[in-house]
Amino acid sequence: MNVLTFFDTAPDEVDAPSVDDVQALAEDVWMALVGEDEVLVPRMVPPRTPFDATGVWSSSVTVSGGWAGVVTVELDEGVAQQLSARMLALPDDEPVTDGDIADAVGELVNMVGGNVKSLMPGPSVLSLPAVAAGRAAFASDVTEVCRLDLAWRGGPVRICIHVPS
Amino acid sequence: MKILIADDSRVMRQIVIRTLRQAGHGGHDIVEAENGREALEMVRSEAPDLVLSDWNMPEMNGIDCLAALRASGSDVAFGFVTSEGSEEMRQRAASAGAAFLIAKPFTPEAFDDALRSVL
Repeated sequence: MNVLTFFDTAPDEVDAPSVDDVQALAEDVWMALVGEDEVLVPRMVPPRTPFDATGVWSSSVTVSGGWAGVVTVELDEGVAQQLSARMLALPDDEPVTDGDIADAVGELVNMVGGNVKSLMPGPSVLSLPAVAAGRAAFASDVTEVCRLDLAWRGGPVRICIHVPS
Repeated sequence: MKILIADDSRVMRQIVIRTLRQAGHGGHDIVEAENGREALEMVRSEAPDLVLSDWNMPEMNGIDCLAALRASGSDVAFGFVTSEGSEEMRQRAASAGAAFLIAKPFTPEAFDDALRSVL
């Protein structure tokens, strides 16, 4: 499990990117990684619903400075495997290792997080990605300010952004 | 032409190599580094014509690598390939002596435009 707590101080006011902005940048990232043939599809998921995949890979980056937040991507295990194979252009019969998935999922959140950082006030610093096999869990000192539930090849994908409470 | 690709992600190094090929720049010699410190050493040992570097890497990040190269007298062409494409980052990159910054996600056209500026 990826347990996330990041912040020393709380900002004066909550500032967060819009769901529309995050969806647009997620679609751009996905298209660049897998091509234009298979798009991310929005999913209607009630608020506060835990990520509903059975096997999960999660990854996160933090932004600190002019804006503070943590960007997290959770992927269904099958999505993570297929995405990694696609990013590495592996033949169908070549297995994807956990190391491949960790690398690919880390790069995915790096791209999403870097673009979120660019939307927000700076200057700020983007962390290296943290990747784990398992759902992300969030500490009580952060508040979810943006959540995007998507699907690719029928498997769930979630992008969420938390800021200091 | 020899190109040094510096990125801590093997996946991203492969994507950069693939994108170079798609952009019509597949005929170059490619060498790879996993972080800025390794890139710094490989600029000396491999004498590349161009460095394509991630910004955010362990050991030594890309901007510190570029600063170390310029401080050592190297004028190797250097471009960033990074997820951080804000104007602030572009200004920092240019001030440090980078020829360009390609923001992720990128297209083969972005690579072609950038490489033409240094070829």
